[in-house]
Amino acid sequence: MSEVNKSRRDFLAFSGRAGMATLVAQAVGINLGIVDVVRAESGGKLDPFRFAIISDAHLYSMDNHKFDQQLIDAVNKVNAMSPKPDFVLFGGDVAQNGTEDQLVKGKEILSKLEMPMHIIPGEHDWYLDMGDAWRGLFGDETWSFNHKGVHFIGLNSILVRDFWTEAGLSPKERMTVMEMLESPIPGPWGVHEQQLEWLANDVKDLGPGTPIVIFTHSPLWDYYPRWNFQTSDAPEIREILSKFDNVMSYHGHVHQTLYNRIGNMSSVAAMSTSWPWPYPPVELAFPETRMNRADPSIATDGQGVQIIDLNNEFQGLVQYKPFEDSLTPFMQDGFTV
Amino acid sequence: MTTSTAIRRAVGIGGVAAAAIVASGVFARAPFTEEELAQQMDALYESVQLGYDMWHGTKPSMATNGLACGNCHPDTAASNPQTFPKYMTMYGKVVQWPEMVNWCIENPQLGERIDPASDDMTALAAYAMYLHRGIPIQPGLASQQTSGVVVEHGTGFKREPTGLGVDSRDHTPTPN
Ligand SMILES: [Fe+2]
Ligand SMILES: [Fe+2]
Repeated sequence: MSEVNKSRRDFLAFSGRAGMATLVAQAVGINLGIVDVVRAESGGKLDPFRFAIISDAHLYSMDNHKFDQQLIDAVNKVNAMSPKPDFVLFGGDVAQNGTEDQLVKGKEILSKLEMPMHIIPGEHDWYLDMGDAWRGLFGDETWSFNHKGVHFIGLNSILVRDFWTEAGLSPKERMTVMEMLESPIPGPWGVHEQQLEWLANDVKDLGPGTPIVIFTHSPLWDYYPRWNFQTSDAPEIREILSKFDNVMSYHGHVHQTLYNRIGNMSSVAAMSTSWPWPYPPVELAFPETRMNRADPSIATDGQGVQIIDLNNEFQGLVQYKPFEDSLTPFMQDGFTV
Repeated sequence: MTTSTAIRRAVGIGGVAAAAIVASGVFARAPFTEEELAQQMDALYESVQLGYDMWHGTKPSMATNGLACGNCHPDTAASNPQTFPKYMTMYGKVVQWPEMVNWCIENPQLGERIDPASDDMTALAAYAMYLHRGIPIQPGLASQQTSGVVVEHGTGFKREPTGLGVDSRDHTPTPN
């Protein structure tokens, strides 16, 4: 366990219920509390920079569908940022029905970004042709790269076991099953063995002080498995990454603002550019990071993009940039992870 | 033949509809048999099943842009049937839940509204209300987003298993 987490755990044990409000603020990093001091002492300098996340465009095949414009708006919003992000991560679900025309349309719109983009797939991109079109357009779905001292990792977290062969489903039927968030058929998804091996190999020579950002479509914790707000082999991923002092996980799929921290890993969700999803019936450790309930009469409410500013101590200032007024006062100026 | 069936036969009505009529009417009668209750629930599940299907896009007239109720309301979450009738800003007056459904169909989904008295609308209500069973009725403003109950079966209601994957009556998803 790193110094940071040990001190966090001690602090949790010590403070009890009385100081809960303060504790939560400190755990989220709003105050320069005990957690941040420890992290600062542990050293590890990197070049500060900014990156952005766009996610869950869910493009349909119709011309001039409203979601096309919403993704265009997201691209324009990121391009207009000052300072500009060094690059953009796209969090999966470019397409709604996984068709090539939808993926091509997404690539076309995203090509207007004035900075490089890295992308991982969502379930809506994948299950018509098992990723063929996606790979042809966007390349490998498992990747890592280093940027200004930070090691970025992308994994495909939406792999399910084969439910279609024995049942004799057509590719379109398979896709339809996967399109339903609460689909009772596929069960929980994950990254599976091959990517776990890849990951273990990818980080084996990195020291514990290396800043790690891992990027997946679904969260690396059991948020709400029924809606696949989970990754089945997240425990194995965490085990592989347990040697690092601090790991940041960013993900799409949940279409809402969300923060969690378990052990050495903080976890932040992306807003979508298509529609917001309701918060599932679970209690959150950090309920103050929930966005306002979207007003259905405002078509772009509850959607947006997000930017993360990493400082030289590998702290990230997370700022959601919604299209409309979606953030509670707690979230207005961002929060540090 | 049970007494209750005999009474139904005597008044010249049969099947599941009769049970509902007798239950809501002024007839004094013996309690329903297990079998009759099961028939009534099956009739309800049939409506819930139709609502479930429509909720996930099986009625093409409900949308011209591909969107289904389920896009934004998985498990009918945040459809809030228990908070209606209530004032909706888009109408500037108090409306019933089926009217809100029609608002969604006509606006975000760019589809054709459904007759509130139709079996189709009844089915949508049956599905949403079924998944909100046990949640207190609270007409008025819903400034809070609400979710349905934690579901019991793979679909949230009893139905014939598809035989695919984890979709079965016996499967209990783990609430987290
Ligand atoms: Fe999505
Ligand atoms: Fe997704």
